[in-house]
Amino acid sequence: MKKRGWGLGCMWYGIGNTGLANPSGAFIDLLNDGTVILLTGCADIGQGSSTVLAQIAAEVLGVEPGKVRVIAGDTGVTPEGGATSASRQTYISGMAVKAAAQQAQQPLLRKAAQLLGVPKEELVCRDYKIFPFFDPQRSVPLQEMIRQCRRAGEMTLGHGWFNPFTTGLDEETGRGSPYATYAYATQWAEVEVDTETGEVTVLRLIAAHDVGKAINPMAVEGQIEGGCAMGLGYALMEELIVEDGVILNAGFAHYLIPTMEDLPEIRAIIVEEAEETGPFGAKGVGEPPLIPTAPAIINAVSNALGVRFFSLPLTPEKILAALAKKEGQQGRREAT
Amino acid sequence: MSPDHAIGKSLPRLEGWEKVTGQCRFTDDLSMPGMLYAGVLRSTVPHAELLALETEAACRLPGVVAVLTARDVPGHNAVGIIVRDEPVLVEDKIRRVGDPLALVAAESKKAVAEALAAIKVSLRELPAVFSPREAMAPGAPLLRGKTNLLLHRKIRKGNVEEALARAHVVVENTYTTPFVEHAALEPEASLALREGNSITVWTSTQNPHFDRGEIASVLGLEQNRVRVVQQATGGGFGGKLDISTQCHAALLAWHTGRPVKLVYSREESFIASGKRHPYTIKYLSAANREGKLLGIKVEILADTGAYASYGPGVLTRAAVHATGPYYVPHVHVDAYAVYTNNPYCGAMRGFGVPQVGFAHEIQMDILAEKLGLDAWEIRSKNFLQPGMETATNQLLRQSVGIGETLRRVKAEVTETAI
Repeated sequence: MKKRGWGLGCMWYGIGNTGLANPSGAFIDLLNDGTVILLTGCADIGQGSSTVLAQIAAEVLGVEPGKVRVIAGDTGVTPEGGATSASRQTYISGMAVKAAAQQAQQPLLRKAAQLLGVPKEELVCRDYKIFPFFDPQRSVPLQEMIRQCRRAGEMTLGHGWFNPFTTGLDEETGRGSPYATYAYATQWAEVEVDTETGEVTVLRLIAAHDVGKAINPMAVEGQIEGGCAMGLGYALMEELIVEDGVILNAGFAHYLIPTMEDLPEIRAIIVEEAEETGPFGAKGVGEPPLIPTAPAIINAVSNALGVRFFSLPLTPEKILAALAKKEGQQGRREAT
Repeated sequence: MSPDHAIGKSLPRLEGWEKVTGQCRFTDDLSMPGMLYAGVLRSTVPHAELLALETEAACRLPGVVAVLTARDVPGHNAVGIIVRDEPVLVEDKIRRVGDPLALVAAESKKAVAEALAAIKVSLRELPAVFSPREAMAPGAPLLRGKTNLLLHRKIRKGNVEEALARAHVVVENTYTTPFVEHAALEPEASLALREGNSITVWTSTQNPHFDRGEIASVLGLEQNRVRVVQQATGGGFGGKLDISTQCHAALLAWHTGRPVKLVYSREESFIASGKRHPYTIKYLSAANREGKLLGIKVEILADTGAYASYGPGVLTRAAVHATGPYYVPHVHVDAYAVYTNNPYCGAMRGFGVPQVGFAHEIQMDILAEKLGLDAWEIRSKNFLQPGMETATNQLLRQSVGIGETLRRVKAEVTETAI
């Protein structure tokens, strides 16, 4: 028989290292053709941080993100960005890049302020133009301002760094503020369980994530979908078998991870509760998506079968054993 | 947001074109004139005293350029992000299957394999321990020092006994979670090049600046003599935060003066790399008649394996997050990371929180069932809001979106209900 059920999983996740200083730095060089070189220690490991950091620099400088060349994770030229871990790079390296870009544009703003006769604090850089926030029509071209800077012997360079506010944890009580901000999420899973084979099919996942601000919504959705896939593996498949210290399934023939075949439709919902200390309100999303997936799926299986499970991964063998035990108990009750 | 803004836009990846057309170069795609291939001889036993390594026969094989052991480490023979407890090459004690014993650099991959097979290892096996509970018991085999306990993290808030006395419902269960492999598409890889008294390492990594410090320490160099270039990296998920190939490739390049490339096979990646910690979690939750959480008492016992890696960070994070995204006035958490002779465990996407998340969310559903509430209701009564304090007494001031995520998911479920 096939039985359906649904389940919920919620999570929170502190952004950055726990109760430790974990700064990141960045350098910006604004070239006289309006292109940008961004030097960041932040290692892009496929999650898309270089694109997100380019967008942050571009937003500050008023240039196209595609014109920001990102050189990342080269200790010969980039400042330290700290680890790409703890879902910290958009928040922490993002703030470093923002600060570096703001510093690089100061000479331009001073020049434009003189030309336009307004305080530099009232100027906006957008679409290769610098203009007063109250009068976008009265603008000066960005590249022209860079060239004027160069003629006057001024470079347009910036460096910036950011360290989130944290305090250490008390040894005895754990009291402290280990993270400057937290991401939050709720996921919902719908499953179908085959009571003959114990196989679980995940039919649908809905994942709502509070990321503060999505700098790149498609990249956020990518992280959510990838996290859900990994969480599905954690719920139903993945287990390294270790006996007497030896891994018995050291390869993909016997260590199963989800493939596209196993994945349901995933509906990613982006919630933006802006974080006031983050770049344009952003927090992080790297790790959170896999956290609530397994409990949502396990709760959905329990909802379908009326049996609770306490051990991951929830393999067909565990489901069949639990169903047999439940039937045995029901049988005994009926017999008495 | 107007179209000329750069943020809030779903832009494709800057390097997307290079990646999808195969032009992007990962570390194993790199090669240099005169480049040598490398391999690592690893322990096949979990706990032993290393008595001797006979390398002469391996050295004499055609194509073999260098065979290195612990004696050949010019600097500090240990790496590790929190505790430097992992030998670059084992000097005297093997603590896990997969511990590196010797390195080979040779003209071909075939010569590397032959040389590794020609090294003779003599060792004396020691009693081993594979469960954290046994490892904490008196008289257990010790991996190092006087105890196998790496970390005991405590969270104490309020008075849980009082909460239990007032509770309408108490739920207690034990949860277990497995070792998990990161399974990044690209296995670990490094290419090292010595130029005079400087060295450059191109590598697949999540933390190039940490790698720089470790390579400098191992080679006995100042940090600015070491350049680490993060090559395009095919996933990490926490598995590329530890040192893998970086120091080994650097050591071989340093000794031979030739470029050296070391790339793990998939099997070696499984055997050598860190894992997600398996936890045993005893989780007690207490709630009042209305379904408000009053207290939790949680014990987390984690197998951290043979080396510390990120273990202390993982267990601290687990303890801090043990309540889930809920307001809990009384909290008592003990999290233990314990050394065993198993594969070492470290960072993996979620950093110890997926394990406790599994436990607190099953607990919530069971509480709901006992109170006659549904899964939405129990969570809606307890989620964190601005103005509330966490288990560590941190006041949350703003950007607390858990309630909104719950509402948005419920709306989506309702709208799409068949």
